[in-house]
Amino acid sequence: MKQKENLMKVIVPVLSILVAFIIGGIIIICLGKNPFQAYGFLFSGAFGSSRKIAQTLVIACPLIFTGLTAAFSYKCGVFNLGGEGQFVMGAVASIFFVTKSGIGGIAGILLSLLVGAAAGAVWGAIPGILKITRGLNEMIVSIMLNYVATLFMGYVYTTLLRDGSVPQTFAIPDSTKLSVISKSFPVHWGVWIALFLAFAGYYFLYYTSKGFKLRAVGLNSTAAFFNGFPVNRYVLFSFIASGAVAGLGGSVELHGKQLRLMGGFGQGFGFDGVAIALIAQLNPIGTAAVAFIFAVLRKGASTLQTGMQIPTAVVDIIQALVIIFAVAGTALLKLPAIRQYINSHMGKKEVTN
Amino acid sequence: MKELLRMEQITKQFGNVYANRNINLSVKEGEVHTLLGENGAGKSTLMNILIGLYQPTAGTIYLHGEKVKIDSPKAAVKMGVGMVHQHFMLVEAMTVLENIILGSRKDSSVFIKKDQVRKEILALSEKYGLDVELDKQITEISVGAQQRVEILKALYRGAELLILDEPTAALTDIEAEGLFAIIRKLTGEQKSVIFISHKMREVLSISDRITILRAGETVTTLNKEDTDGTQLANLMIGREMVPSNYKKVTATGDEVLSFQNISYQKQHKHSGLNEVSLTVRKGEILGIAGVDGNGQSQLAQLAAGIIAPEEGTVLLKTSRVSRFAPNGFILSHVSHVPEDRNKMGLIGNMTVRENLILKATEEARFSYGHGALLKNKAITKFALEMQSKNDIRCASIEQEVRNLSGGNQQKVILAREMENDPELLIAVHPTRGLDIGAARYVHDTMVAARDQGCAILLISADFDEILNLSDRILVMFEGQVMGTYSGINPPIEQISLAMAGKGN
Repeated sequence: MKQKENLMKVIVPVLSILVAFIIGGIIIICLGKNPFQAYGFLFSGAFGSSRKIAQTLVIACPLIFTGLTAAFSYKCGVFNLGGEGQFVMGAVASIFFVTKSGIGGIAGILLSLLVGAAAGAVWGAIPGILKITRGLNEMIVSIMLNYVATLFMGYVYTTLLRDGSVPQTFAIPDSTKLSVISKSFPVHWGVWIALFLAFAGYYFLYYTSKGFKLRAVGLNSTAAFFNGFPVNRYVLFSFIASGAVAGLGGSVELHGKQLRLMGGFGQGFGFDGVAIALIAQLNPIGTAAVAFIFAVLRKGASTLQTGMQIPTAVVDIIQALVIIFAVAGTALLKLPAIRQYINSHMGKKEVTN
Repeated sequence: MKELLRMEQITKQFGNVYANRNINLSVKEGEVHTLLGENGAGKSTLMNILIGLYQPTAGTIYLHGEKVKIDSPKAAVKMGVGMVHQHFMLVEAMTVLENIILGSRKDSSVFIKKDQVRKEILALSEKYGLDVELDKQITEISVGAQQRVEILKALYRGAELLILDEPTAALTDIEAEGLFAIIRKLTGEQKSVIFISHKMREVLSISDRITILRAGETVTTLNKEDTDGTQLANLMIGREMVPSNYKKVTATGDEVLSFQNISYQKQHKHSGLNEVSLTVRKGEILGIAGVDGNGQSQLAQLAAGIIAPEEGTVLLKTSRVSRFAPNGFILSHVSHVPEDRNKMGLIGNMTVRENLILKATEEARFSYGHGALLKNKAITKFALEMQSKNDIRCASIEQEVRNLSGGNQQKVILAREMENDPELLIAVHPTRGLDIGAARYVHDTMVAARDQGCAILLISADFDEILNLSDRILVMFEGQVMGTYSGINPPIEQISLAMAGKGN
């Protein structure tokens, strides 16, 4: 039973990706191009060389962070849609720290990442505290805080830390850039932090008592309370932890890739993270994998446009289809008729008494 | 008096269960007819059939001597049947007037003729003494007034027959008197009322005739003049003494749990507690008898630390409880089999195995370093042991617990709760919905725990269960303790009367 359900949890996303690619292929045919060739371009753009793979990984990095943010809060039954704001606030706090403190080198990076995570945690705690104490809907509060964060970042790069005439901040000092693994494989260390977090998150949720309780709170908070778990504390913790992950992601993105803040920083990452986490069925390791697939699509999209004049919008369509099919597939599995069919056709019958 | 309604041989089946079986009911014009019965006796089902929510499996309904088919609530309204539910169906954000006209279609105009409607409603309200302020919002008026709005709503739609489902449940005594005055005016106008209640005092004061239902069947219909409270209580509960299967004890051990003058939301008769004092001793089962919804849920939740009392003292193992949180009680070895297993007891989407160790994940036998790494092998081994020891029937311990039958779910909870070495076990409706085998297992487990010195607080709406297990029986009515009786040769008649609110 359990194995079967776990199997379905893998099959659904894989199938939805395949179907999305097939439909994408039909669209490409309608545009008068060869879909096989097009997908060849797409994948060679993402995987063609070690350099390209590295670039794909760098694109995946922030998505892993925001994906984990969503997965972590949803596992506790609360909907933190503020990943983007927390991501942005992490980056804003980091750039303040590195430009104002003057601490450079490894110490500077580590402290800056910590400051970024702390800022994200604070930004994530706000909807959590308001939910627990005042009963406000965390989704609305966290979405609204996204705008606050983005506009605050605008104030920072146009006014507070503006670099001359261009509306952007100063670049971070060279000594605080996250170094890359090698010249031929230019992946910054932030990617490893993201992957480490994915595994750590998985370990926490499935191999520790606290993670167990957090999942229990997410699945049935009343029963969790009756069984002696401090429900509000777990809810607040999940907001703070998920906010910290997003803030750390923003800080990593700043130190590893963007190096400065400007308009559009972090835009869309929050909601991409939500989609990624849902496709991955809230599994942290799965989240990292799905984030990577999204990055492949994004990296390949530009090759597709330059190589075959297929608009990047086609890739956006494929990405949207993946989301739709994954969500629909998961919903479908919950239907009693489908459950019964799967149970009777995939192994021994269930004992109900 | 002419007959208004006759329900003949009404049967309603849900699956294999008969909610109603060959029920006969006849209501005359201008009569107050009471339906009396315990929870689950079939009153609600019968009324839902009458207002068109359910279709009977068999049987016929006559209104004014004509055979009718009531296939929707709308049809019921058309035929002049109106119901005031126990939980009011009012839109809180709207005014009284808006609520009354909501959904009614007296004319086909697109616009609401407020002035005309207002006049009609005022006329109705004066005629029957239904005093309401039409322009106030529902949230601004008292519960009694809300009920009057419901009655007005039904009358405005032309109700001839009014069903009042436990109408006094939420009312103060004075409000209840007001309601009875209204009912008398209604019957004076040849309207009929079906009155549902299990409060003997009220039933005897307002009814003309009384029909008693038990376990889905009609027991009898009596004229009020020909009966008294004792007879009604006996007919309603309908049992003679059943010899107990278990040996009863008189405990002299230490007090494990003691309530001293506990009050919690006293103004609510059906979800509050009023000056409740009780003690449970080591090695005894204290059974709380009473019709469901007389404060038992709150009593259980207080004893488990889920809610905190507003007044009074709770002593747990003779030390005063100052902080009410479930965790503290669990650490003091209080186990709880809650009333709603799916909502309160189990995490439905987690596996049997995970639910079995829900409270124990931090113990050294299940994890390293206080929960830092779960010992999955040890947990699985434990779960398998529990499965065979408690005869939990499931395909695998990896099965989600929500897919188990009620009896097996209850066994999972019981297995987990007994593992906490309970010094106090709170069991609320522990066998509700269980088959005989599973119920027997639950009872055996509880008695075995008692014999090992566990104090047990048993709360049940099943009178047989209380009689069968309890060493002492405490009766609750409207949040108050009506009396405590010995479980050895219990005085059934006295207890039945106490359950219906007639104290000594």
